[in-house]
Amino acid sequence: MAQIGVDDWVAQSGGRRDGGSGWRKLLARADSRLGWWPRLALVTLAGLIAGQLLTNVNLQTVAFNSLLYAMLALGLNIAVGWAGLLDLGYIAFFGLGAYGFAVLSSTATGASGSGGTHLPAIESIPIVILIAGVVGVVIGLIALRLSGDYLAIVTLFVGQAFMEVVNNVDPGTLGGVNGIFGLDSLHSFGSQVTSPLGYYYLALVMTVVLAGILHLLDTSRTGRAWRALRDDPLAASAMTIPVNKLKVMAFSFGAMVGALAGTLFAAEQNTVFPTNFTANILILIYACLVLGGVGSIAGAIAGGLVVTIGEQMLSSPNDAGYLFYGLILIVLVMRIRPWRNLAAVLTGVIGLGFAAHALAGAISSAAVAGAPGSGGSIGSAVRDYVIVPANPATYGNILYVVLICALVVIVRLHGTRRLLAVVPTVYIAACCWEARLIVNPSITTQIMIGAILIVTMAARPQGLLGTHRVETAEQ
Amino acid sequence: MQEFIQTIVNGLQTGSLYALIALGYTMVYGILKLLNFAHGDVYMVGAYIGYFVIHWFGGPTALSIPVPLLILIMFALASTGCGLLGVAMERFAYRPLRDAPRIAPLITALGISFVLENTVLLLFGGFTRSYQTESFISATSGIHLGGVTINIVEIMVIVVSVAMMFGLRQIVHRTTLGKSMRAVASDREAAEMLGINVNRTIALTFFIGSAMAGVAGVMSGLAFDQITNTIGFLAGLKAFTAAVVGGIGSIAGAMIGGIVIGLAEAFSLSYISTKYADLIVFGILIVTMLVRPQGIFGRPLLQKV
Amino acid sequence: MKRIITAAVTLAALTAAGCGSSSNTTSTATHKAAGASTSCSASIAIEGPFTGPVAQVGLEQLHFAQLAVANDNAANKTNVVLNQDDTQLTPSMAVSKTQAIIASPAVAVVGPAGSQEVQAVGPLFGRAGVAFITGSATLPALTTSGKNPTFFRAVPNDNIQGPQDANYIVNHLKPKAVLVIDDNEAYSQGLVKTMIPIFQKAGIKVNHQTLNGTDTGATLANAISSLVSSQLTPTETVTVLPWQAAANAQTFGLDVKQQHKTTTLFGTDGTNSPSQFKIPGSYVSNFGPDISTSTSTLDKSLVSGVAKFGPYGSFGVPTYAATDVLMQAISSVCKAGQSPSRSNVLAAVKKTNIPAAATPMAAVIAFQPNGDLVDHPGYLFHIDSAGKYAQIPNK
Repeated sequence: MAQIGVDDWVAQSGGRRDGGSGWRKLLARADSRLGWWPRLALVTLAGLIAGQLLTNVNLQTVAFNSLLYAMLALGLNIAVGWAGLLDLGYIAFFGLGAYGFAVLSSTATGASGSGGTHLPAIESIPIVILIAGVVGVVIGLIALRLSGDYLAIVTLFVGQAFMEVVNNVDPGTLGGVNGIFGLDSLHSFGSQVTSPLGYYYLALVMTVVLAGILHLLDTSRTGRAWRALRDDPLAASAMTIPVNKLKVMAFSFGAMVGALAGTLFAAEQNTVFPTNFTANILILIYACLVLGGVGSIAGAIAGGLVVTIGEQMLSSPNDAGYLFYGLILIVLVMRIRPWRNLAAVLTGVIGLGFAAHALAGAISSAAVAGAPGSGGSIGSAVRDYVIVPANPATYGNILYVVLICALVVIVRLHGTRRLLAVVPTVYIAACCWEARLIVNPSITTQIMIGAILIVTMAARPQGLLGTHRVETAEQ
Repeated sequence: MQEFIQTIVNGLQTGSLYALIALGYTMVYGILKLLNFAHGDVYMVGAYIGYFVIHWFGGPTALSIPVPLLILIMFALASTGCGLLGVAMERFAYRPLRDAPRIAPLITALGISFVLENTVLLLFGGFTRSYQTESFISATSGIHLGGVTINIVEIMVIVVSVAMMFGLRQIVHRTTLGKSMRAVASDREAAEMLGINVNRTIALTFFIGSAMAGVAGVMSGLAFDQITNTIGFLAGLKAFTAAVVGGIGSIAGAMIGGIVIGLAEAFSLSYISTKYADLIVFGILIVTMLVRPQGIFGRPLLQKV
Repeated sequence: MKRIITAAVTLAALTAAGCGSSSNTTSTATHKAAGASTSCSASIAIEGPFTGPVAQVGLEQLHFAQLAVANDNAANKTNVVLNQDDTQLTPSMAVSKTQAIIASPAVAVVGPAGSQEVQAVGPLFGRAGVAFITGSATLPALTTSGKNPTFFRAVPNDNIQGPQDANYIVNHLKPKAVLVIDDNEAYSQGLVKTMIPIFQKAGIKVNHQTLNGTDTGATLANAISSLVSSQLTPTETVTVLPWQAAANAQTFGLDVKQQHKTTTLFGTDGTNSPSQFKIPGSYVSNFGPDISTSTSTLDKSLVSGVAKFGPYGSFGVPTYAATDVLMQAISSVCKAGQSPSRSNVLAAVKKTNIPAAATPMAAVIAFQPNGDLVDHPGYLFHIDSAGKYAQIPNK
């Protein structure tokens, strides 16, 4: 704090000189020279190759879902990332798209049997997108009078309102709580998409086209105006940028993308239900966008992949174990320098565990009578490592609380003390995982999603691929 | 008539609770421009602390201490516990994000909300827990008015909320801490240059706001009997609405906003529709924002360049 | 200052964990391999809402299913592992989890819990030939639509419970008018749909209201109190509460008392929880007998097995029965010298015939070709002045 100010160009001189080392430098240079067309083509190629490798329906579904979330994040990015409008009602547009498709392409509603509307996709999807665009304009007009978090809270209620409307209004058409089932597959020109792999390829094409269009939009006058609007609405309006029109446009465009994803989702699921569009899903979409990097097209797509695959891994106890121990290891390797210290800490962690297990076993055999919660290779690897008593619930709960406290303490410590504190903390984490967390994998998944959001925001608020942006509090 | 009075009582009771939660929202938002979505979950934690206090002292049917003392201990522990939770949240999750884009703390808040709700689920189980208030405080004694009984708990909820609001008002307007809070709220950098310990002021703001949510949690347990780990989200949403309707940053506004939202909710539930009550509250919010964006008590913001 | 805060946070958190641990969720490693030496190994999965707003239901189902797996593994000398798949009662999540299960080695599935979820995943399980058996999805169309060929349920559908309750009210309680409140969930609306015509036919005036079941906490309490004050009239001597959460019915009863009104509450299986809904004079129906007062050793072992998880309602017992069906099927396949593959287990489930004495449902468990139970007696309880459940004739 001794310095009063610094010139940006001078401050960055070091970075310009280094620019990373060796291969990283080369990679960075190659990356910066690659245009956006080749980049998109590379992604497409990777997607097509991935499609060939997706051997079972589950993998195909996961891949489809990750592209779906990528599309949703791309749409959300327009209002949130570019125009800086905090839209928490985005889920309503996703739902609108799905319900719109369901009404236009199903035998409709409940038990009515035959009849209904069966428009081909080439007609129904544009209709739905158009409707969503109009609704986006309406909500955008309301949003004009609001700023920042006020807008967030109003749009959050829009999401709630959507749920209440589809739940209660006209169960004959919208199915009420029972939803609409037995939708048509996407069909046009006499052919239809029925297999999960087909939907994956369709989603791939849509995502790539969407990313291309959005890139053009981003680099156009409109895109630049949006960013000006985001960074300083007052200055933007002083420079005769049509602020109101741009805000409404951002809402409307985002709504259209969300609705497009909704139609695809409804067709793939073959059903729509109100509970598919709850705040939880919205939080996942936000997680995609924010983890990937707000404002970045590549970030939104990467976020969709990371979140969907991560969630999939977390929901299988075995994979969750690998993820858990892997994350600990990665954090240790990345944060502890030099290698000497890292080796010492790792040895300490391993030694402490076996010593503690032996000691506890010597004192009372009941203290180590329980089996670790993990199965498979992790389970057998840590059998003589972690202390799990015969009835581990209370023990696990206390460990969980101790673990949180230990993490809090570690954040407050520095230097050697921190290194010393890391050893028992990692061991407590392992014991807690085996004794308690893995026993209820679903609850653990939710806690880990929350924790990952908090930690990512604290460590890298701009996300994986976002650019750092300092923002002063709104006046 | 009976129905009318009952509706007013319901509205005042829920409204007072919304107001108590809204006070925390409004203080934190006023000082940091931070929408602390996890605030509702702090309230939930307060309700659980109160529940365990009852069980420490013998459980609802066999209390080992007098009821007023029990309630005092519940208030004290819940407000301390939640206050510390608030301070920890601020220190470890929000402080690193002071200069980050505005969306970052919002995501952090959602993350904290996930962690709190599911930690309670993991530690204490998913079943609904009941305070069983009726076994130690009579539900039918109190003031009788036009065929309606306003019972002791309902009176307590309203009185305690109003008292806490006045207490908070005194803190903000009469103490040094209050002065620093107002200074930090109006310009953080200038306050820092004037020698105000900004971090400490913000931490104490979180403490006070969260403590009030803790008290609200205990009172909601006493008044409504049932608590689960998911009661926080909706209550937090309603409370934020109350803070906005009353005028962000205004203490009286949060109180009045809470009562307005509570009454609006009660009247729409009783006289219009139980299905659409949430939508009606939402409608009030939209109309307020369109007609008077600064809220009932807020002052119009001057946009600085 | 900072150290003090850190220390205080630590202390507060520790005490919180300490007090919670007296009566909280636990799970022992009992669901792990009991007899690893046996050759009959398989894995099954359970789909349910283990987190989210209805975690109460899902965790209850999970605990009873784990108990069934542990008991049957010990009794049949099998080595069946139960995997958990959280759906949060959301159909799209159920679809993802179902695809994952189909790709996994799991041979059969318990759940999902909700009727909408069954509608969403039924065709997928059907195509993969995986048997799935729910303990709580009661929509009649699930078995009659023909879209869910591998679907079974260990509970009677709404067409059994709804009319039973409505007829009892008409014949025994003889009200002039009834207040019927659904909680805006599929479960509730399905039951209401079967009950209202019976009331109308008997000339009883029906006041049908809806409670927003997604509300929680203060808003929910406000809504329940409003329904009591604005809708309940003196002529409505019976109030039907086909709700998913027993605690809400209890709140309703307390509000009735506080507002000096009188009505007889009539709850369905969702409100059947002796520890949570105990308004004296109320009636509650259910799919099975009350295991908490039963004298059979099986029921007693169930009660003691889940006691550490806290109060339970009516969702656990049918899920125990459902899990038991799969466990017995796997065991019978093994005993016949075949490998417990999906198709073999599916065939064995179809042939299920568990005697009434061997299941907490206290009725023979056998399935019709469409997946519904063959024998489905209903149960009815009256809550006495001390809040205890007493079984009464249901006709």
